[in-house]
Amino acid sequence: MSDYEGGPANDDDLSLPRATVYKLIAEMLPDDVACAKDTRDLLLDCCNEFIHLIASESNEICEKEAKKTIAAEHVLAALRELGFEKYVGEVEEAYGEHRQQQTKDRGRKSTKLNRLGLSEEELLRSQEFLFAQARMRFQNQAAQGAPDGGGGSGGGSA
Amino acid sequence: MVSIESAATPGTSSLPAARVRRIIKEDKDIFACGSDSLFLISRATEYFIDSLVRESYEFSRLDKRKTVQYKDMAKAVQSIEQYDFLTDIIPPTVSLKKNAN
Repeated sequence: MSDYEGGPANDDDLSLPRATVYKLIAEMLPDDVACAKDTRDLLLDCCNEFIHLIASESNEICEKEAKKTIAAEHVLAALRELGFEKYVGEVEEAYGEHRQQQTKDRGRKSTKLNRLGLSEEELLRSQEFLFAQARMRFQNQAAQGAPDGGGGSGGGSA
Repeated sequence: MVSIESAATPGTSSLPAARVRRIIKEDKDIFACGSDSLFLISRATEYFIDSLVRESYEFSRLDKRKTVQYKDMAKAVQSIEQYDFLTDIIPPTVSLKKNAN
């Protein structure tokens, strides 16, 4: 496989990564409790079903609003619709943290240029200046190379 | 319900986004799913795992066992209405009558 992303070879075997889910199960149970292997695998299948269920219901709600892309509120409505209201509070909270995190990341990305302390006009001028310099250098090279029929670049092989 | 400590950063999911997206995309009726929605579905799935695991464990405890077995999960699915969508993938392994006592 040329691009091995650690996932299944074909989409039919698509499920959540085993190791990740096994770890979650272990975290959710008391330290002295284990989960049988076939039970863990069963849980993996249940997760798939759950994802399909929520996605499908979200999609229906989305279509009813004549939208094409499933949005956050569609997912929240789907959870309520399917009897998973108890998840809604915590999911909403996580959503709030998620958006805060995104704003932080976006902020970080834009500071590099801001830190130079130059205005956009100044940046443009300095860019043009660098281009002009490069152009001059190129023209000088060309002028030097031309007279003897361009014998400058690389000698012939023996 | 105990809140889940997810990954290292708050507002992230332990489940890989790309994989969750591929699972969602298996449904050909779905045109597109925003990344925010993807995140919400991932988180909801984590809560689902948490609930189902704990509910299954309850049945292990009733049976005085320290290992959560297949039949525990089967009983959890049978006994909770919201899990009706799972009945097809968990054929009843134990008849409810037998375990009524």
